[in-house]
Amino acid sequence: MRVIVGEGSCGLAAGAGKVYEALQTKLEGIESASLGITGCVGMCWLEPIVDLYNGKMLAKRLVHVAPEDADDIAAAVQSGDLSLVDRITIRKEDEDFLRKQTRIALRHCGVIDPADINDYMADDGYQALEKVLGTMTPEEVIEEIKVSGLAGRGGAGFPTWFKWKAARNAAGGPKYLICNADEGDPGAFMDRAVIESDPHSLIEGMMIAAYAIGAAEAIVYVRAEYPLAIVRLENAIKQAREAGKLGKNILGSDFSCDMRIKAGAGAFVCGEETALIESLEGNRGMPRLKPPFPANSGYWHKPSNINNVETFANVAWIILNGGDKFAAMGTEDSKGTKVFALTGKIKRGGLVEIPMGKTLREVIFDIGGGIRDDKEFKAVQMGGPSGGCIPASLLDTPIDYKKLSATGAIMGSGGMVVMDENTCMVGMAKFFLDFTAKESCGKCVHCRIGTKRMQEILTRITEGEGREGDIELLEELCAAVKDGALCGLGQTAPNPVLTTLRYFRDEYEAHINEKKCPAGSCAALLTYSIDPSKCVGCTMCARKCPAGAIAGTVRNPHSIDPEKCIRCGQCLAACRFGAVSVG
Amino acid sequence: MSEITITINGKLCKGQQGDTIFKIAQDNGIYIPNLCYHPSVARYGACGLCLVQDEKSPKLIRSCSTIAADGQVLHTENDRIIQARKIALELLMSDHEGDCVGPCRLACPAETACQEYVKQVALGNTREAVRIVKERLPLPASIGHVCPHPCESECRRRLVEQPISIAMIKRFMAMDQLDKADRWKPEIAPATGKKVGIIGGGPAGLTAAYYLALKGHEVTVHDAMPKMGGMLRYGIPEYRLPKAVLDAEIAEIAETGVKLVNDFKIGRDISFEEYRKQYDAVVVAIGAWKSSPMRCPGENLEGVYGGIDFLRSVALGDPVAIGKRTAIVGGGNTAMDACRTAVRLGAEEVYVIYRRTRSEMPAAADEIDEAIEEGVVFKFLTNPDSIIGEDGKVKAVKLQVMELGEPDASGRRSPVPVEGKFEYLEVDSVIAAIGQRVDVAGFDVGASSLELNRRGIIAADELSFHTSLPGVFAVGDATNKGADIAIAAIGEAGRAADVIDSYLAGAEKPYRKPYVSKRVVTEEDFKDREKQPRVPVVNRPAAERRCDFKPVNSGYTAEEAMKEALRCLECGCHDYRECRLISTANEIEIHPERLAGAKHEKFTETRLVAIERDQGKCITCNLCVRVCDEVVGKGILGLVGRGFETVIKPEFNDPAVVAACKDCLKCAEACPTGALKILTAK
Repeated sequence: MRVIVGEGSCGLAAGAGKVYEALQTKLEGIESASLGITGCVGMCWLEPIVDLYNGKMLAKRLVHVAPEDADDIAAAVQSGDLSLVDRITIRKEDEDFLRKQTRIALRHCGVIDPADINDYMADDGYQALEKVLGTMTPEEVIEEIKVSGLAGRGGAGFPTWFKWKAARNAAGGPKYLICNADEGDPGAFMDRAVIESDPHSLIEGMMIAAYAIGAAEAIVYVRAEYPLAIVRLENAIKQAREAGKLGKNILGSDFSCDMRIKAGAGAFVCGEETALIESLEGNRGMPRLKPPFPANSGYWHKPSNINNVETFANVAWIILNGGDKFAAMGTEDSKGTKVFALTGKIKRGGLVEIPMGKTLREVIFDIGGGIRDDKEFKAVQMGGPSGGCIPASLLDTPIDYKKLSATGAIMGSGGMVVMDENTCMVGMAKFFLDFTAKESCGKCVHCRIGTKRMQEILTRITEGEGREGDIELLEELCAAVKDGALCGLGQTAPNPVLTTLRYFRDEYEAHINEKKCPAGSCAALLTYSIDPSKCVGCTMCARKCPAGAIAGTVRNPHSIDPEKCIRCGQCLAACRFGAVSVG
Repeated sequence: MSEITITINGKLCKGQQGDTIFKIAQDNGIYIPNLCYHPSVARYGACGLCLVQDEKSPKLIRSCSTIAADGQVLHTENDRIIQARKIALELLMSDHEGDCVGPCRLACPAETACQEYVKQVALGNTREAVRIVKERLPLPASIGHVCPHPCESECRRRLVEQPISIAMIKRFMAMDQLDKADRWKPEIAPATGKKVGIIGGGPAGLTAAYYLALKGHEVTVHDAMPKMGGMLRYGIPEYRLPKAVLDAEIAEIAETGVKLVNDFKIGRDISFEEYRKQYDAVVVAIGAWKSSPMRCPGENLEGVYGGIDFLRSVALGDPVAIGKRTAIVGGGNTAMDACRTAVRLGAEEVYVIYRRTRSEMPAAADEIDEAIEEGVVFKFLTNPDSIIGEDGKVKAVKLQVMELGEPDASGRRSPVPVEGKFEYLEVDSVIAAIGQRVDVAGFDVGASSLELNRRGIIAADELSFHTSLPGVFAVGDATNKGADIAIAAIGEAGRAADVIDSYLAGAEKPYRKPYVSKRVVTEEDFKDREKQPRVPVVNRPAAERRCDFKPVNSGYTAEEAMKEALRCLECGCHDYRECRLISTANEIEIHPERLAGAKHEKFTETRLVAIERDQGKCITCNLCVRVCDEVVGKGILGLVGRGFETVIKPEFNDPAVVAACKDCLKCAEACPTGALKILTAK
């Protein structure tokens, strides 16, 4: 029996490394057992996960595994009596999470060993590249991608074939193929999972693209904050080169293309393709003006094509299964599947891949299991700092580039941050503006100062210092920044503000006019009080209060001085009689 | 290269394939604002001011860096573009501590460029100094003599020790040039064929006449008095402003072609209605020539005079019987002129009756000091209760004793009578210098004609100076708030001249106060400055000057003026006239204060030896960085930090790198603001 430990970043963060070590000790000497690793299967809330395989058959999936469970696992493996580990077996309803998905980009994630090219090869790996180099012209490849309807998965949703064709037709050379793995949206981790769990599918997709456009070199620009992804990709590149899957005369053809990694230094704006190119060239990461587009003048001002990780991860599947099969999934405007990183106040947070056209409700409730602690769903933020929030009333919106844009949000790279009734929407907008204001490259005025001013206004609103006219001022700034900012980062930075204003204007008004936070989340707007009929005078709250704001004598009701209160919530947590309330 | 044609704002424009929209617009005389563009570096697109709209594109595009396509139809001025541009300027200004002009200029009601002419005096160039002051003030010698100089009250040098003697410097430079054959003379625009009639030849009327004449209009000034000058001649005594100085400056105004007509009174020589018909525009600048009454018993006795009436009589050479003892009522500059004139006329006892104390007196401190030196006795905290007469003539004043109560609307503590407490002052005459009123006799006034405000003063729009009558403008003491200092009337007249010029051209453009960036400074900012007291002006001995009407002093010598001028701290930005940021900011109305927020710390640094860099003025357009890199090939400068915190720094913070700067000064030349200043001591 094969014992496979899920070692994506999420698994390792949950303790998969220690589980692996414990299993290594306990399984030693059991002849029928072999120990291995895989990447992230996407059920991050269940990590560490250990899968027990009979050959290729998954016999049992164990979740929340601790190193102490190694004895039981060893016993089960040795005896073949898997009921010994029933206690840590995945629950039926959690299995729905995967069962309701359609996996193409994530087809190998959590299944194969990302460190072993043979595992990839055993699962149709590099067959698409072989087919392309052996039987297809570059034009045919581009045509197949066109048939598939594959669009850029990094956020913009631009038709992939069109970019490839533009780069192929561009005059001059050498041509470059670049993978944008500078995944920076808060709450997004699809690309990390793909590289960590299935690096060869990225390499294969890139080699096919390189062939299609005629690129001599392929570069993966991956953020340095993804060390495990870099290690696994480096290893995969080495294996692929040794196996002749990249480098000189790939698979014996006359097509040559080598590949290297460039680690980004952590600037969000480098996810913008022209800023990424500047950074690749060794300059400060600041966007260039478009046009000219990179297809004509990109890296070193040579024709360049840039796609995102997930886009490339679909390519081999499309070649092997046919563009029409990919296009059969999805909607009129959006073909195929899309991966989402489901996070926030969701019961089952992780990676979800579904065909386009499913509704937000299906993803959040059917797959994600709904809201944690059974609270009310309030909104889902899509597209990170460039996107917007979608309220409960629009939960039946199908996932489709056009339909999501109509809500004011965007498909984006696939971050889906779920918020419940206790999330303050002004605070949420502020969070994203804090982010964009800090991550602005500082080049253009609208973004450099405009996002800063928006962030300042949002801050004062959440601190109870909002002024009459602030909403209108925000709207004015939003419109001007959208119009005036140089690149996508600035042009989309107002979206979180615009969508929260569109759907939750009353929350802004309550903050400004009544100095109240309806979600009870903005500390400066909270009032803590003690109900004298419930207070028994135990003095616990007064002893916990760091500001000396609570007065009262033993066995007599206490009271809070609102002037001294710093709204830390210690009293609320300390009270065992439910006498402290916050409003 | 093939030729392309694009349409900008409806105009067909030709350009070459590969040209940017900005270049084609520029070549075809269409203005598009910009700050970060420079012809010698690669396109960049940071400032966002050059946004234009392509009819076919939903997005605004940057014209400085977008290559034009044949047949494109573009707009550069629609609402959406203006709004994006406005926000860009407001954002830039919200983080710009420019100190565009010094506080002296901001305090001057005529916005005279004090710092600039003071600098020219420091350089010994009085001709240029006079040219600069005459941009706003055509009577610098006269005003240099009489101005109570609000500029000096705001001068930052007071935070070191004492303000610059701006008025004395102005008096010196204007006097220095007054009789020079090669003195600066203004250029006069070609004749427009438009006629302007100006009623009133005081500082306001003369100023309006001068600037309208320079713009090519045919101007006539009509005045009821025998000579021009208005209150400067008939309200200010000879010892303060010699008539010869005023005459010389009026002659210079006449040299511009202005026709001057005296002894001409509306209502007597011509009806206002008839007068209006003769001109394309009329300026009413009749001043405030009636003394306010005291409203106390006995004020009609023989020997009671109004302050300005008294001064006028003296100026006209009419004998005024004030006797040996006289009391002047009031605490303003007219009261000081009256009491000191009385001294000079030979009165032996001269009193000033003022209901508050010295610190509340509106008169200039120097005037009060000099009056005291000349023997004037101040009766503070007293107010005339009644004037006691004998045989119809003044015999004494009964004074109500006052004390100071709560502050009033003016912020000064208001005088309150001490019940039952009186004093008596035996005098032969009383001069009431307590205020002036507008005399509109001869004008057809009222709701259907020339409208007055509630105080009986001509009502004019504050920004267009237009009265209720089309084509009739009003400025100076006769309008709105009433009597004020001469330079205030001159300021209004200068602004009105611009408005009237636009009116005559067919589209009246009301005055808009120029936007300027300001900096707040404290004594702390100047604590390292070496103290250097102002150069004193020595007055003639009081005993001597009280006997004649000659000037109290002879002002600065050239050396003294230069030394005083060198004390100037040069607060205003050296680049104000060339600054592209401020000129662009003033093209549309902006209100950066509504976007106020965090600012960069302001400081100056001189790490590049020949260039001083002022962070408060930097707009991060990156031109210096790009020029140093792309034009000079040095790359000494670079950007550090992200987002709002982004600043320009010598690239590696390394003295050796900074030393590689060969002082080519190209970065400073490219800087669109005053952030980079070339140090002259290179």
